[in-house]
Amino acid sequence: MLPPLSGATRLEDPIPARAGIGLRFPHHDHVLAKRPDVAWFEVHPENYLGEGVVAGDLEMVRRDYPLSLHATGLSLGSADGLDLEHLSAIAAFSRRIQPGLVSDHLSWSAAGGLHLPDLLPLPFSEEALAVVARNVDQTQTVLGRQILIENPSAYLAFADSALTEAEFLGELVRVSGCGVLLDVNNIVVSAGNLGESPALRLGQLLDHVPPGAIGEIHLAGHAVRPLADGAVLRIDDHGSPVSPRVWSLFETVIARIGPRPTLIEWDTAIPAFDVLRAEEASAQSILDWRAETPAYAAAR
Amino acid sequence: MPPLADIQRRMARALLHGTDAGMPPTAAAPVSACAAFQVYRDTVLSALANALRLTFPTVDRLVGEAFFDQAACAYAREAPPRRARLVAYGETFPVFLEAYAPTQGLVYLGDVARLDWAIAQALLAPDHGVRRHVTIEETIFLALSVSLTILPVRFPVDVIRAALTDDDDRGLAAIDLTPRPHAVAVWRDGPMAAVQPLSQPAGLFLTAIQFGSTPEEALAAACTAASPQGALRAIQAEVFAARFAEITQIRSEEETP
Repeated sequence: MLPPLSGATRLEDPIPARAGIGLRFPHHDHVLAKRPDVAWFEVHPENYLGEGVVAGDLEMVRRDYPLSLHATGLSLGSADGLDLEHLSAIAAFSRRIQPGLVSDHLSWSAAGGLHLPDLLPLPFSEEALAVVARNVDQTQTVLGRQILIENPSAYLAFADSALTEAEFLGELVRVSGCGVLLDVNNIVVSAGNLGESPALRLGQLLDHVPPGAIGEIHLAGHAVRPLADGAVLRIDDHGSPVSPRVWSLFETVIARIGPRPTLIEWDTAIPAFDVLRAEEASAQSILDWRAETPAYAAAR
Repeated sequence: MPPLADIQRRMARALLHGTDAGMPPTAAAPVSACAAFQVYRDTVLSALANALRLTFPTVDRLVGEAFFDQAACAYAREAPPRRARLVAYGETFPVFLEAYAPTQGLVYLGDVARLDWAIAQALLAPDHGVRRHVTIEETIFLALSVSLTILPVRFPVDVIRAALTDDDDRGLAAIDLTPRPHAVAVWRDGPMAAVQPLSQPAGLFLTAIQFGSTPEEALAAACTAASPQGALRAIQAEVFAARFAEITQIRSEEETP
Protein backbone atom coordinates (compact mmCIF):
# COMPACT_ATOMS: atom_id res chain seq x y z
CA MET A 1 0.00 0.00 0.00
CA LEU A 2 1.36 3.42 -0.93
CA PRO A 3 1.71 6.25 1.60
CA PRO A 4 -0.48 9.36 1.14
CA LEU A 5 1.03 12.11 -1.03
CA SER A 6 1.11 15.81 -0.29
CA GLY A 7 -0.11 17.88 -3.24
CA ALA A 8 -3.89 17.95 -2.76
CA THR A 9 -5.77 20.75 -1.13
CA ARG A 10 -9.28 20.59 0.34
CA LEU A 11 -12.10 19.56 -1.99
CA GLU A 12 -13.94 22.74 -2.93
CA ASP A 13 -17.31 22.82 -4.67
CA PRO A 14 -17.90 26.20 -6.27
CA ILE A 15 -19.64 24.53 -9.24
CA PRO A 16 -23.27 24.09 -8.13
CA ALA A 17 -24.73 20.60 -7.71
CA ARG A 18 -26.88 21.25 -10.74
CA ALA A 19 -26.91 20.18 -14.37
CA GLY A 20 -24.44 21.90 -16.71
CA ILE A 21 -23.44 21.66 -20.36
CA GLY A 22 -20.17 20.89 -22.12
CA LEU A 23 -19.47 24.03 -24.18
CA ARG A 24 -18.09 23.42 -27.68
CA PHE A 25 -17.03 25.84 -30.43
CA PRO A 26 -20.27 25.68 -32.48
CA HIS A 27 -22.22 27.12 -29.53
CA HIS A 28 -19.87 29.96 -28.54
CA ASP A 29 -21.74 32.61 -30.49
CA HIS A 30 -25.13 31.46 -29.20
CA VAL A 31 -24.00 31.47 -25.57
CA LEU A 32 -22.29 34.85 -25.86
CA ALA A 33 -25.26 36.42 -27.63
CA LYS A 34 -28.15 34.87 -25.67
CA ARG A 35 -26.60 34.26 -22.24
CA PRO A 36 -28.86 31.21 -21.65
CA ASP A 37 -29.86 30.30 -18.12
CA VAL A 38 -27.37 27.42 -17.70
CA ALA A 39 -25.97 26.75 -14.22
CA TRP A 40 -22.41 26.11 -15.44
CA PHE A 41 -20.30 25.10 -18.41
CA GLU A 42 -17.34 22.80 -18.88
CA VAL A 43 -14.62 23.02 -21.57
CA HIS A 44 -11.51 21.13 -22.62
CA PRO A 45 -8.65 23.53 -21.74
CA GLU A 46 -6.38 22.13 -24.48
CA ASN A 47 -8.64 23.87 -27.02
CA TYR A 48 -8.21 27.29 -25.41
CA LEU A 49 -4.57 27.60 -24.39
CA GLY A 50 -2.85 30.82 -25.44
CA GLU A 51 -4.34 34.22 -26.10
CA GLY A 52 -6.21 33.54 -29.33
CA VAL A 53 -9.77 34.25 -30.43
CA VAL A 54 -11.42 31.30 -28.67
CA ALA A 55 -9.58 32.03 -25.42
CA GLY A 56 -11.08 35.52 -25.56
CA ASP A 57 -14.53 33.99 -26.08
CA LEU A 58 -14.08 31.82 -23.03
CA GLU A 59 -13.04 34.73 -20.84
CA MET A 60 -16.32 36.43 -21.77
CA VAL A 61 -18.27 33.24 -20.95
CA ARG A 62 -16.47 33.04 -17.61
CA ARG A 63 -17.70 36.50 -16.63
CA ASP A 64 -21.27 35.15 -16.54
CA TYR A 65 -20.94 31.44 -15.69
CA PRO A 66 -19.02 29.09 -13.39
CA LEU A 67 -16.62 27.05 -15.51
CA SER A 68 -15.09 23.63 -15.08
CA LEU A 69 -11.93 22.57 -16.91
CA HIS A 70 -11.95 18.99 -18.16
CA ALA A 71 -8.48 18.22 -19.50
CA THR A 72 -7.83 15.42 -21.97
CA GLY A 73 -4.08 15.75 -22.47
CA LEU A 74 -2.32 15.60 -19.11
CA SER A 75 -1.72 11.87 -19.63
CA LEU A 76 -1.78 11.12 -15.91
CA GLY A 77 -1.06 7.44 -16.54
CA SER A 78 2.18 7.96 -18.47
CA ALA A 79 5.09 5.97 -17.09
CA ASP A 80 7.40 8.53 -18.74
CA GLY A 81 6.00 11.22 -16.43
CA LEU A 82 4.15 14.43 -17.20
CA ASP A 83 4.80 16.94 -19.97
CA LEU A 84 5.76 19.77 -17.62
CA GLU A 85 5.46 22.45 -20.30
CA HIS A 86 1.88 21.37 -20.98
CA LEU A 87 1.07 21.15 -17.28
CA SER A 88 2.48 24.63 -16.82
CA ALA A 89 0.28 25.94 -19.65
CA ILE A 90 -2.79 24.33 -18.08
CA ALA A 91 -1.85 25.85 -14.71
CA ALA A 92 -1.48 29.33 -16.23
CA PHE A 93 -4.82 28.93 -18.01
CA SER A 94 -6.44 27.75 -14.77
CA ARG A 95 -5.13 30.81 -12.92
CA ARG A 96 -6.63 33.01 -15.62
CA ILE A 97 -10.03 31.30 -15.84
CA GLN A 98 -10.43 30.45 -12.13
CA PRO A 99 -12.44 27.28 -12.74
CA GLY A 100 -14.66 25.69 -10.13
CA LEU A 101 -13.37 22.21 -10.94
CA VAL A 102 -10.41 20.73 -12.81
CA SER A 103 -10.38 17.14 -14.02
CA ASP A 104 -8.69 14.63 -16.36
CA HIS A 105 -8.87 10.89 -16.92
CA LEU A 106 -7.56 7.62 -15.51
CA SER A 107 -5.67 6.89 -18.72
CA TRP A 108 -2.55 7.73 -20.68
CA SER A 109 -1.88 9.40 -24.02
CA ALA A 110 1.88 9.99 -24.18
CA ALA A 111 4.71 7.48 -24.47
CA GLY A 112 8.18 7.54 -25.96
CA GLY A 113 7.91 11.22 -26.87
CA LEU A 114 4.65 10.78 -28.82
CA HIS A 115 1.22 12.10 -27.91
CA LEU A 116 -1.78 10.09 -29.11
CA PRO A 117 -5.11 11.92 -28.71
CA ASP A 118 -7.08 9.18 -26.97
CA LEU A 119 -7.72 7.98 -23.44
CA LEU A 120 -5.70 4.77 -23.56
CA PRO A 121 -6.16 1.95 -21.04
CA LEU A 122 -3.95 1.24 -18.05
CA PRO A 123 -3.24 -2.13 -16.52
CA PHE A 124 -4.54 -1.87 -12.95
CA SER A 125 -1.25 -2.90 -11.35
CA GLU A 126 0.61 -1.65 -8.31
CA GLU A 127 3.20 -0.12 -10.64
CA ALA A 128 0.50 1.77 -12.57
CA LEU A 129 -1.04 2.96 -9.29
CA ALA A 130 2.31 4.38 -8.19
CA VAL A 131 2.77 6.09 -11.58
CA VAL A 132 -0.71 7.67 -11.60
CA ALA A 133 -0.50 8.69 -7.94
CA ARG A 134 2.86 10.38 -8.58
CA ASN A 135 1.54 12.20 -11.65
CA VAL A 136 -1.69 13.27 -9.94
CA ASP A 137 0.26 14.54 -6.95
CA GLN A 138 2.56 16.56 -9.21
CA THR A 139 -0.42 17.98 -11.10
CA GLN A 140 -2.21 18.97 -7.88
CA THR A 141 0.96 20.58 -6.57
CA VAL A 142 1.51 22.65 -9.75
CA LEU A 143 -2.17 23.64 -9.98
CA GLY A 144 -2.37 24.28 -6.24
CA ARG A 145 -5.69 22.46 -6.00
CA GLN A 146 -7.35 19.08 -5.99
CA ILE A 147 -8.25 17.51 -9.34
CA LEU A 148 -10.94 14.98 -10.19
CA ILE A 149 -10.07 11.78 -12.05
CA GLU A 150 -12.62 10.32 -14.48
CA ASN A 151 -13.22 6.61 -15.02
CA PRO A 152 -12.67 6.28 -18.80
CA SER A 153 -14.57 4.10 -21.25
CA ALA A 154 -12.76 0.78 -21.84
CA TYR A 155 -12.65 -1.50 -24.86
CA LEU A 156 -10.24 -4.00 -23.31
CA ALA A 157 -8.79 -4.96 -19.93
CA PHE A 158 -5.29 -6.31 -19.36
CA ALA A 159 -5.28 -9.93 -18.24
CA ASP A 160 -2.90 -9.61 -15.32
CA SER A 161 -4.37 -6.55 -13.59
CA ALA A 162 -4.04 -7.00 -9.83
CA LEU A 163 -6.87 -4.57 -9.03
CA THR A 164 -10.27 -3.73 -10.47
CA GLU A 165 -10.83 -0.21 -11.80
CA ALA A 166 -12.94 0.53 -8.73
CA GLU A 167 -10.22 -0.67 -6.34
CA PHE A 168 -7.62 1.30 -8.31
CA LEU A 169 -9.66 4.53 -8.13
CA GLY A 170 -10.41 4.06 -4.45
CA GLU A 171 -6.75 3.55 -3.67
CA LEU A 172 -5.77 6.52 -5.87
CA VAL A 173 -8.15 8.77 -3.95
CA ARG A 174 -6.62 7.58 -0.68
CA VAL A 175 -2.98 8.07 -1.61
CA SER A 176 -3.20 11.22 -3.73
CA GLY A 177 -6.13 13.08 -2.21
CA CYS A 178 -7.71 13.50 -5.63
CA GLY A 179 -11.46 13.34 -6.21
CA VAL A 180 -13.40 11.32 -8.76
CA LEU A 181 -15.43 12.40 -11.76
CA LEU A 182 -17.93 9.59 -12.20
CA ASP A 183 -18.83 9.12 -15.88
CA VAL A 184 -22.00 7.01 -15.87
CA ASN A 185 -21.95 6.56 -19.65
CA ASN A 186 -18.43 5.15 -19.39
CA ILE A 187 -19.66 2.62 -16.83
CA VAL A 188 -22.22 1.34 -19.35
CA VAL A 189 -19.74 1.37 -22.28
CA SER A 190 -16.98 -0.42 -20.33
CA ALA A 191 -19.33 -2.98 -18.79
CA GLY A 192 -20.81 -3.83 -22.19
CA ASN A 193 -17.43 -4.21 -23.89
CA LEU A 194 -15.90 -6.21 -21.03
CA GLY A 195 -18.89 -8.50 -20.45
CA GLU A 196 -19.89 -7.13 -17.06
CA SER A 197 -23.14 -5.94 -15.50
CA PRO A 198 -23.27 -2.09 -15.61
CA ALA A 199 -25.08 -2.02 -12.27
CA LEU A 200 -22.42 -4.26 -10.71
CA ARG A 201 -19.57 -2.18 -12.15
CA LEU A 202 -21.20 1.00 -10.84
CA GLY A 203 -21.82 -0.61 -7.45
CA GLN A 204 -18.17 -1.62 -7.17
CA LEU A 205 -17.07 1.94 -7.87
CA LEU A 206 -19.47 3.38 -5.32
CA ASP A 207 -18.29 0.78 -2.79
CA HIS A 208 -14.61 1.64 -3.21
CA VAL A 209 -14.70 5.42 -3.68
CA PRO A 210 -15.90 7.46 -0.67
CA PRO A 211 -19.08 9.40 -1.61
CA GLY A 212 -17.44 12.65 -0.56
CA ALA A 213 -14.70 12.13 -3.11
CA ILE A 214 -17.13 12.09 -6.05
CA GLY A 215 -17.12 15.73 -7.13
CA GLU A 216 -18.81 15.59 -10.52
CA ILE A 217 -20.84 13.31 -12.79
CA HIS A 218 -20.76 13.05 -16.58
CA LEU A 219 -23.65 11.90 -18.78
CA ALA A 220 -23.42 11.31 -22.55
CA GLY A 221 -24.60 9.11 -25.37
CA HIS A 222 -22.70 6.27 -26.99
CA ALA A 223 -22.90 4.30 -30.22
CA VAL A 224 -23.81 0.62 -30.38
CA ARG A 225 -22.25 -1.37 -33.22
CA PRO A 226 -22.85 -5.09 -33.87
CA LEU A 227 -19.66 -6.92 -34.88
CA ALA A 228 -19.31 -9.73 -37.40
CA ASP A 229 -18.56 -12.27 -34.66
CA GLY A 230 -21.88 -11.54 -32.97
CA ALA A 231 -20.43 -9.32 -30.23
CA VAL A 232 -21.81 -5.85 -29.60
CA LEU A 233 -19.32 -2.99 -29.42
CA ARG A 234 -20.23 0.14 -27.47
CA ILE A 235 -18.30 3.22 -28.59
CA ASP A 236 -18.06 6.27 -26.35
CA ASP A 237 -18.60 8.81 -29.13
CA HIS A 238 -20.68 11.42 -27.25
CA GLY A 239 -22.78 11.72 -30.38
CA SER A 240 -26.37 10.96 -29.31
CA PRO A 241 -28.81 11.47 -26.43
CA VAL A 242 -28.10 9.90 -23.05
CA SER A 243 -29.34 6.29 -23.17
CA PRO A 244 -32.16 4.99 -20.92
CA ARG A 245 -29.68 2.66 -19.17
CA VAL A 246 -27.44 5.62 -18.31
CA TRP A 247 -30.39 7.67 -17.00
CA SER A 248 -31.39 4.74 -14.82
CA LEU A 249 -27.90 4.35 -13.37
CA PHE A 250 -27.68 8.11 -12.85
CA GLU A 251 -30.80 7.90 -10.68
CA THR A 252 -29.12 5.13 -8.70
CA VAL A 253 -26.01 7.26 -8.18
CA ILE A 254 -27.95 10.33 -7.06
CA ALA A 255 -30.11 8.25 -4.73
CA ARG A 256 -26.98 6.85 -3.11
CA ILE A 257 -24.67 9.88 -2.87
CA GLY A 258 -26.97 12.88 -3.34
CA PRO A 259 -26.87 15.64 -5.97
CA ARG A 260 -23.57 16.47 -7.67
CA PRO A 261 -22.57 18.83 -10.49
CA THR A 262 -23.74 16.85 -13.51
CA LEU A 263 -22.58 17.53 -17.05
CA ILE A 264 -24.21 16.77 -20.40
CA GLU A 265 -21.38 15.99 -22.88
CA TRP A 266 -21.94 15.96 -26.64
CA ASP A 267 -18.82 16.03 -28.86
CA THR A 268 -19.66 14.52 -32.26
CA ALA A 269 -22.56 15.40 -34.57
CA ILE A 270 -23.13 18.31 -32.19
CA PRO A 271 -26.83 19.27 -32.24
CA ALA A 272 -28.61 22.59 -31.77
CA PHE A 273 -28.16 24.11 -28.33
CA ASP A 274 -31.83 23.45 -27.52
CA VAL A 275 -31.20 19.70 -27.73
CA LEU A 276 -28.50 20.04 -25.08
CA ARG A 277 -30.86 22.14 -22.96
CA ALA A 278 -33.45 19.35 -23.08
CA GLU A 279 -30.86 16.81 -21.87
CA GLU A 280 -29.75 19.25 -19.18
CA ALA A 281 -33.39 19.63 -18.04
CA SER A 282 -33.76 15.84 -17.78
CA ALA A 283 -30.63 15.64 -15.62
CA GLN A 284 -31.82 18.54 -13.49
CA SER A 285 -35.20 16.89 -12.88
CA ILE A 286 -33.43 13.85 -11.41
CA LEU A 287 -31.20 16.06 -9.27
CA ASP A 288 -34.27 18.01 -8.08
CA TRP A 289 -36.17 14.84 -7.29
CA ARG A 290 -33.37 13.65 -5.07
CA ALA A 291 -32.87 17.00 -3.40
CA GLU A 292 -36.61 17.12 -2.54
CA THR A 293 -36.86 13.64 -1.00
CA PRO A 294 -37.41 13.95 2.77
CA ALA A 295 -34.52 11.67 3.78
CA TYR A 296 -31.97 13.60 1.79
CA ALA A 297 -33.38 16.99 2.77
CA ALA A 298 -33.19 15.98 6.44
CA ALA A 299 -29.63 14.79 6.02
CA ARG A 300 -28.67 18.15 4.58
CA MET B 1 3.39 -8.17 -16.77
CA PRO B 2 6.01 -6.07 -18.62
CA PRO B 3 6.97 -2.66 -17.17
CA LEU B 4 4.33 0.01 -17.79
CA ALA B 5 6.68 2.10 -19.92
CA ASP B 6 7.23 -0.88 -22.25
CA ILE B 7 3.49 -1.55 -22.55
CA GLN B 8 2.79 2.07 -23.39
CA ARG B 9 5.55 2.40 -26.00
CA ARG B 10 4.52 -0.84 -27.68
CA MET B 11 0.88 0.18 -27.69
CA ALA B 12 1.66 3.62 -29.11
CA ARG B 13 3.59 2.00 -31.98
CA ALA B 14 0.85 -0.58 -32.48
CA LEU B 15 -1.85 2.07 -32.71
CA LEU B 16 0.05 4.16 -35.24
CA HIS B 17 1.48 1.40 -37.39
CA GLY B 18 -1.06 -1.40 -37.06
CA THR B 19 1.08 -4.13 -35.52
CA ASP B 20 -0.40 -5.53 -32.33
CA ALA B 21 2.47 -7.98 -31.78
CA GLY B 22 4.15 -7.84 -28.38
CA MET B 23 1.17 -6.44 -26.49
CA PRO B 24 0.47 -8.07 -23.11
CA PRO B 25 -2.53 -10.43 -23.02
CA THR B 26 -5.99 -8.99 -22.48
CA ALA B 27 -8.79 -10.44 -20.35
CA ALA B 28 -11.45 -12.54 -22.08
CA ALA B 29 -14.34 -10.30 -23.11
CA PRO B 30 -17.23 -10.26 -25.59
CA VAL B 31 -15.35 -7.67 -27.70
CA SER B 32 -12.16 -9.25 -29.04
CA ALA B 33 -8.78 -7.64 -28.39
CA CYS B 34 -8.43 -7.09 -32.14
CA ALA B 35 -11.72 -5.16 -32.33
CA ALA B 36 -10.81 -3.23 -29.18
CA PHE B 37 -7.43 -2.19 -30.57
CA GLN B 38 -9.16 -1.09 -33.76
CA VAL B 39 -11.42 1.28 -31.79
CA TYR B 40 -8.41 2.91 -30.15
CA ARG B 41 -6.59 3.08 -33.51
CA ASP B 42 -9.62 4.63 -35.25
CA THR B 43 -10.05 7.14 -32.44
CA VAL B 44 -6.40 8.23 -32.53
CA LEU B 45 -6.25 8.62 -36.31
CA SER B 46 -9.65 10.28 -36.67
CA ALA B 47 -8.81 12.73 -33.85
CA LEU B 48 -5.58 13.67 -35.61
CA ALA B 49 -7.28 13.95 -39.00
CA ASN B 50 -9.99 16.17 -37.51
CA ALA B 51 -7.42 18.34 -35.76
CA LEU B 52 -5.62 18.82 -39.08
CA ARG B 53 -8.94 19.51 -40.84
CA LEU B 54 -9.64 22.36 -38.41
CA THR B 55 -6.20 23.86 -39.07
CA PHE B 56 -6.22 23.27 -42.86
CA PRO B 57 -9.81 23.98 -43.97
CA THR B 58 -8.84 25.27 -47.44
CA VAL B 59 -6.84 22.12 -48.17
CA ASP B 60 -9.84 20.08 -46.99
CA ARG B 61 -12.17 21.95 -49.37
CA LEU B 62 -9.74 21.54 -52.25
CA VAL B 63 -9.20 17.80 -51.97
CA GLY B 64 -12.44 16.64 -50.31
CA GLU B 65 -13.05 14.87 -47.00
CA ALA B 66 -12.07 11.31 -47.99
CA PHE B 67 -8.81 12.32 -49.65
CA PHE B 68 -7.99 14.68 -46.78
CA ASP B 69 -8.50 11.87 -44.26
CA GLN B 70 -6.18 9.61 -46.26
CA ALA B 71 -3.44 12.25 -46.44
CA ALA B 72 -3.91 13.26 -42.79
CA CYS B 73 -3.63 9.66 -41.55
CA ALA B 74 -0.49 9.12 -43.65
CA TYR B 75 0.97 12.30 -42.14
CA ALA B 76 -0.06 11.30 -38.62
CA ARG B 77 1.79 8.00 -38.98
CA GLU B 78 4.88 9.72 -40.34
CA ALA B 79 4.86 12.73 -38.01
CA PRO B 80 2.69 12.01 -34.94
CA PRO B 81 2.22 14.85 -32.49
CA ARG B 82 4.65 15.35 -29.64
CA ARG B 83 2.36 17.56 -27.54
CA ALA B 84 -1.22 17.47 -26.31
CA ARG B 85 -2.15 20.82 -27.82
CA LEU B 86 -3.44 19.71 -31.22
CA VAL B 87 -4.19 23.24 -32.43
CA ALA B 88 -0.41 23.55 -32.73
CA TYR B 89 -0.06 20.25 -34.62
CA GLY B 90 0.68 20.20 -38.36
CA GLU B 91 3.45 22.72 -38.93
CA THR B 92 5.16 20.32 -41.37
CA PHE B 93 1.92 19.22 -43.10
CA PRO B 94 2.53 21.62 -46.05
CA VAL B 95 5.96 20.07 -46.72
CA PHE B 96 4.46 16.59 -46.36
CA LEU B 97 1.74 17.38 -48.90
CA GLU B 98 4.33 18.56 -51.43
CA ALA B 99 6.10 15.20 -51.20
CA TYR B 100 2.94 13.05 -50.88
CA ALA B 101 2.68 11.04 -54.08
CA PRO B 102 -1.14 11.19 -54.50
CA THR B 103 -1.07 15.03 -54.48
CA GLN B 104 1.74 15.47 -56.99
CA GLY B 105 -0.69 16.88 -59.56
CA LEU B 106 -1.76 19.66 -57.16
CA VAL B 107 1.44 21.68 -57.22
CA TYR B 108 -0.15 24.58 -55.31
CA LEU B 109 -1.44 22.44 -52.42
CA GLY B 110 1.64 22.99 -50.21
CA ASP B 111 1.33 26.77 -50.52
CA VAL B 112 -2.41 26.62 -49.78
CA ALA B 113 -1.56 24.61 -46.66
CA ARG B 114 0.99 27.27 -45.67
CA LEU B 115 -1.73 29.91 -45.89
CA ASP B 116 -4.07 27.79 -43.73
CA TRP B 117 -1.30 27.33 -41.16
CA ALA B 118 -0.54 31.05 -41.07
CA ILE B 119 -4.24 31.85 -40.57
CA ALA B 120 -4.51 29.31 -37.75
CA GLN B 121 -1.46 30.77 -36.02
CA ALA B 122 -2.83 34.31 -36.41
CA LEU B 123 -6.06 33.24 -34.70
CA LEU B 124 -4.03 31.82 -31.82
CA ALA B 125 -2.10 35.07 -31.37
CA PRO B 126 -3.08 37.86 -28.96
CA ASP B 127 -5.40 40.52 -30.34
CA HIS B 128 -2.97 43.28 -29.39
CA GLY B 129 0.76 43.48 -29.13
CA VAL B 130 3.77 44.22 -31.24
CA ARG B 131 6.14 41.73 -32.82
CA ARG B 132 8.67 44.21 -34.09
CA HIS B 133 9.40 47.92 -33.58
CA VAL B 134 11.41 49.43 -36.40
CA THR B 135 12.96 52.88 -36.33
CA ILE B 136 12.27 54.32 -39.75
CA GLU B 137 13.81 57.70 -38.94
CA GLU B 138 15.00 59.21 -35.70
CA THR B 139 11.46 60.12 -34.59
CA ILE B 140 9.34 57.78 -36.75
CA PHE B 141 8.67 54.21 -35.68
CA LEU B 142 6.93 51.32 -37.42
CA ALA B 143 5.21 48.72 -35.19
CA LEU B 144 4.12 45.39 -36.73
CA SER B 145 1.31 43.30 -35.19
CA VAL B 146 2.41 40.36 -33.07
CA SER B 147 0.09 38.16 -35.15
CA LEU B 148 1.60 39.12 -38.53
CA THR B 149 3.10 36.50 -40.83
CA ILE B 150 4.56 37.32 -44.23
CA LEU B 151 4.15 34.27 -46.41
CA PRO B 152 6.34 33.91 -49.50
CA VAL B 153 4.57 31.51 -51.89
CA ARG B 154 4.67 30.52 -55.57
CA PHE B 155 0.91 30.55 -56.23
CA PRO B 156 -1.89 33.10 -55.62
CA VAL B 157 -3.17 31.29 -52.53
CA ASP B 158 -5.28 34.21 -51.35
CA VAL B 159 -7.23 34.11 -54.62
CA ILE B 160 -7.60 30.31 -54.44
CA ARG B 161 -8.91 30.56 -50.87
CA ALA B 162 -11.34 33.35 -51.73
CA ALA B 163 -12.74 31.39 -54.68
CA LEU B 164 -13.24 28.31 -52.50
CA THR B 165 -14.84 30.32 -49.71
CA ASP B 166 -17.26 31.86 -52.22
CA ASP B 167 -17.92 28.49 -53.96
CA ASP B 168 -16.80 30.23 -57.15
CA ASP B 169 -15.90 27.25 -59.35
CA ARG B 170 -15.53 29.38 -62.49
CA GLY B 171 -13.25 31.81 -60.70
CA LEU B 172 -11.23 28.92 -59.34
CA ALA B 173 -10.81 27.42 -62.80
CA ALA B 174 -9.67 30.77 -64.20
CA ILE B 175 -6.82 31.31 -61.74
CA ASP B 176 -3.39 31.51 -63.37
CA LEU B 177 -1.38 28.75 -61.70
CA THR B 178 1.94 29.56 -63.33
CA PRO B 179 4.49 29.46 -60.49
CA ARG B 180 5.94 32.91 -59.75
CA PRO B 181 6.86 34.76 -56.54
CA HIS B 182 3.89 35.96 -54.49
CA ALA B 183 3.73 37.31 -50.95
CA VAL B 184 0.75 37.39 -48.61
CA ALA B 185 0.34 39.13 -45.26
CA VAL B 186 -1.73 37.26 -42.67
CA TRP B 187 -2.66 38.70 -39.28
CA ARG B 188 -5.37 38.70 -36.66
CA ASP B 189 -7.92 41.48 -37.05
CA GLY B 190 -10.24 41.23 -34.02
CA PRO B 191 -12.03 37.86 -34.08
CA MET B 192 -11.01 37.14 -37.70
CA ALA B 193 -7.83 36.46 -39.64
CA ALA B 194 -7.06 38.98 -42.39
CA VAL B 195 -5.28 38.00 -45.60
CA GLN B 196 -3.76 40.65 -47.86
CA PRO B 197 -1.75 40.03 -51.04
CA LEU B 198 1.44 42.09 -51.24
CA SER B 199 3.31 43.39 -54.24
CA GLN B 200 6.77 41.95 -54.62
CA PRO B 201 8.59 45.04 -53.27
CA ALA B 202 6.32 45.29 -50.22
CA GLY B 203 6.70 41.56 -49.60
CA LEU B 204 10.48 41.74 -49.83
CA PHE B 205 10.56 44.75 -47.51
CA LEU B 206 8.42 43.09 -44.83
CA THR B 207 10.19 39.75 -45.10
CA ALA B 208 13.53 41.48 -44.58
CA ILE B 209 12.16 43.44 -41.59
CA GLN B 210 10.75 40.27 -40.05
CA PHE B 211 14.14 38.58 -40.35
CA GLY B 212 15.79 41.47 -38.47
CA SER B 213 17.11 43.64 -41.30
CA THR B 214 17.43 47.39 -40.88
CA PRO B 215 14.99 49.60 -42.83
CA GLU B 216 17.83 50.49 -45.22
CA GLU B 217 18.58 46.82 -45.88
CA ALA B 218 14.87 46.05 -46.27
CA LEU B 219 14.46 48.93 -48.72
CA ALA B 220 17.44 47.66 -50.70
CA ALA B 221 15.73 44.23 -50.85
CA ALA B 222 12.52 45.86 -52.09
CA CYS B 223 14.48 47.74 -54.76
CA THR B 224 15.57 44.44 -56.31
CA ALA B 225 11.97 44.07 -57.55
CA ALA B 226 11.18 47.69 -58.51
CA SER B 227 12.67 51.11 -59.04
CA PRO B 228 13.45 53.02 -55.80
CA GLN B 229 10.40 55.26 -56.36
CA GLY B 230 8.18 52.25 -57.13
CA ALA B 231 9.44 50.36 -54.09
CA LEU B 232 8.79 53.35 -51.79
CA ARG B 233 5.29 53.83 -53.20
CA ALA B 234 4.52 50.15 -52.61
CA ILE B 235 5.88 50.26 -49.04
CA GLN B 236 3.91 53.37 -48.18
CA ALA B 237 0.67 52.00 -49.62
CA GLU B 238 0.89 48.38 -48.52
CA VAL B 239 2.93 48.52 -45.31
CA PHE B 240 2.72 51.94 -43.65
CA ALA B 241 -1.03 52.23 -44.37
CA ALA B 242 -1.84 48.59 -43.53
CA ARG B 243 -3.99 47.53 -40.56
CA PHE B 244 -1.22 45.23 -39.32
CA ALA B 245 1.16 48.19 -38.97
CA GLU B 246 1.20 51.35 -36.94
CA ILE B 247 3.36 54.37 -37.62
CA THR B 248 4.23 56.47 -34.61
CA GLN B 249 5.89 59.87 -34.82
CA ILE B 250 7.47 61.32 -31.71
CA ARG B 251 7.90 65.07 -31.76
CA SER B 252 11.44 66.23 -31.10
CA GLU B 253 12.25 68.27 -27.95
CA GLU B 254 12.70 71.49 -29.98
CA GLU B 255 9.14 71.13 -31.28
CA THR B 256 7.65 70.47 -27.85
CA PRO B 257 5.77 73.58 -26.70
